[in-house]
Amino acid sequence: MKLSELKTGDRAEVTSVGSETAVRRRLMDMGLIRGTEIEVLRFAPLGDPIEIGYKGLLLTMRLKEAEGITVTKIPEERQAQETAGYGLSGMRLFRRG
Amino acid sequence: MAAIKEIRVALTGNPNAGKSSLFNVLTGSHQRVGNFPGVTIEKHEGFVDYKGVRITVVDLPGTYSLTPYSPEEIVTRRYIIDEKPDVVVNVIDGTNLERNLLLTAQLMEMEVELLVALNMIDEVEDKGISIDTDQLEKLLGCHIVPTSARRKQGLDDLLDHIVSISNGHIEISKNKMTFSPVIEVAAEKISALLGRERELASANHRWMAIKLLESDREVYGRVKQYPVWVKVELALQEAITECQRLNSTDPEALITEDRYAFVRGAMQECVRQPRASRATVSDYIDMVVLNRVLGLPVFFVVVWAIFQLTFTLGAPIMEGLAFMFSLLARSLGPLLPNALLRSIIVDGVIAGVGSVVVYLPNIVLLFIGLSFLEASGYMARAAFVIDKVMHRFGLHGKSFIPMVTGFGCSIPAIMATRTLKSRSDRLATIMTIPFMSCGAKLPVYVLLSGAFFPPAMAANVMFGIYFLGIVVGLWTAWMLKSTLLKSDSEPFVMELPPYRWPTLASVLFQARMKALMYLKKAGTLILMAVMAIWAASNFPHSRDLDARLEREKMRIEASGATPVQKSAELQSIISKAQADQLEYSLAGRSGKIIEPLIRPIGFDWRIGISLVTGVVSKEVVVSTLGTIFSIGRSDQAAGGLTSILRSDPGFSRATALSLMVFVLLYIPCVATLGVMKKEVGSWRPVLLYTGYVLAIAWSASFITYRIALLIR
Repeated sequence: MKLSELKTGDRAEVTSVGSETAVRRRLMDMGLIRGTEIEVLRFAPLGDPIEIGYKGLLLTMRLKEAEGITVTKIPEERQAQETAGYGLSGMRLFRRG
Repeated sequence: MAAIKEIRVALTGNPNAGKSSLFNVLTGSHQRVGNFPGVTIEKHEGFVDYKGVRITVVDLPGTYSLTPYSPEEIVTRRYIIDEKPDVVVNVIDGTNLERNLLLTAQLMEMEVELLVALNMIDEVEDKGISIDTDQLEKLLGCHIVPTSARRKQGLDDLLDHIVSISNGHIEISKNKMTFSPVIEVAAEKISALLGRERELASANHRWMAIKLLESDREVYGRVKQYPVWVKVELALQEAITECQRLNSTDPEALITEDRYAFVRGAMQECVRQPRASRATVSDYIDMVVLNRVLGLPVFFVVVWAIFQLTFTLGAPIMEGLAFMFSLLARSLGPLLPNALLRSIIVDGVIAGVGSVVVYLPNIVLLFIGLSFLEASGYMARAAFVIDKVMHRFGLHGKSFIPMVTGFGCSIPAIMATRTLKSRSDRLATIMTIPFMSCGAKLPVYVLLSGAFFPPAMAANVMFGIYFLGIVVGLWTAWMLKSTLLKSDSEPFVMELPPYRWPTLASVLFQARMKALMYLKKAGTLILMAVMAIWAASNFPHSRDLDARLEREKMRIEASGATPVQKSAELQSIISKAQADQLEYSLAGRSGKIIEPLIRPIGFDWRIGISLVTGVVSKEVVVSTLGTIFSIGRSDQAAGGLTSILRSDPGFSRATALSLMVFVLLYIPCVATLGVMKKEVGSWRPVLLYTGYVLAIAWSASFITYRIALLIR
């Protein structure tokens, strides 16, 4: 599915970054590559740019840009478990509840 | 003294890694620093003498990578390639190692003399992250020096290393980045091909090959002009097919993934950080500030609070200063024997320059507010919150940052638009900036709203003026983007930096700098303008008027009135003569010429003069009003310019409103026009823009004036 289709609090793994060349380049430079685990932190008050967190960094992009990124959602059960590696620590608080 | 050795050092690193802060503490010079990506848009140089070596430090714009994506990133890469600095210092945000090391990996590929400054080491320690620098040095193949620009840690150590590296003392063997086999095979082949091209003999072939595989436009363009290109292109095609077959992706993505794999490996070996760290303070703040419901109200409150701070807190200090200047004028006046000299000093210098200097507290407070926004990290959040609105008007969330800077001064704001990649977005943003009411216009509003509105209303009137500027600015952008500058909108991808408390020292320093700059401007540019206006309003001198004044004087002397009546009458005819002289003067005549144009919007010729001189700089509007309106007024010193205007028949509340609107919207100052020309590329669009701005200003003032007259 597309990154833009996720909801606040969802976690997912990036499977490909396929936006327009320059955007893709920029996203990859920011560390958004295949296999990156991300969490949707929030949408802007007016619903457009989306904020995601990964590897201890906060990135915002418009939904148009997020459409170019395909992800697989990490199922809820796995979300509850501790994820391996660094990065997503500290983002836990942002989950629902 | 022996000739000192000179070396050049370039500072590179991710945006917001603290390059500029490090540059400032190293060289003792003072660049603009802020907590949002893209503060440094041009390279800056400074130097430091250390152990007999003169080290020129070049602060380059921050980049996430070395594949040129936006203009400021191109500046960085070109500098490293073309200028070949003796040492390249890679400044790394230690709290964000993984992404920062990506750039380090790319610098390794360039085979430059690299030194890593592991910056923000204080925050790293606070967060409980431990970094095995010895092992990391081996992996990166370069020395690493932990530093903290904020606490001034590790600076001497860094300089020691810079000097020893420039002398060739490197105790670590360089390491090479190794990519996936597909890439290595292709890179080998392509660099061999490039090696055959005589013209490219001195270039770094392997680096160029990797860049070609990354579809780097610049390197493409360079290689394309040589015959070897045909073969290179074939090899590239082959690499793309192979890459798709073996790794099911393209070379560009694979290279980035390989770099990350390298960085990740290095991190796993050398970095230990606490696993489930709690949410940081930054996260808690964002929960409120970026909240779906609260986000927009918070945004408006923040902007509104800055204006309140500027006006409410500034008002008493301003009144104190105004009182001091009027005291000075009153006490100095009688001491000056010569009438002409007295006129220059009292009507010219004190009335003109003084009327500008009194706004110093407001200006300083405004800049403190803005620098706090920049340094705290809120600016990037504001861009996130407001992007959709900006997008509606054809602008970009990032356009917001230069626009806010524009409330301070248009010049840095226009330069800051360079962080926008698309030219049409840049142009549209540049054209909105002069409508973001700058600090120089502030004195005009403070004067007029203070003189014609009760104190409780004054701040709101000013807020309204600023708001009008924003509306007109956005409207202009929307119009441009839907006609002349039609284009696809630029993508919005932006990082939110963690919040940081700006250090008190840096905020105070900024404030002092702004204050000094403002005073310097008042003492030079504005003083000169004031003298010119004084001269233009006193010359040519009318002998007829002098003769008439003498006759009148004699008539009064001869009359049978009491001495008190005589002196009052004398005073009034002198004032009348001075006013007539003003009308006769060069300034008066030119004012009269434009008067028919500005009559419909409520201005007389005296205001007309101040508008013309205001093009030099907007504070000059106030100083000109100060000079011209105090001519022919005997009661001038009593309550300063405020009371002079209030009691002048040429001024009403409607005039004041109309004048504020006009000053808000009409021609930007000369310096701003110059910078616009530089950024846009030619005078034609700037002149067209000036015409547009005048038309808008006139129409808006006309409407304001007529409505204000009706309401009264």
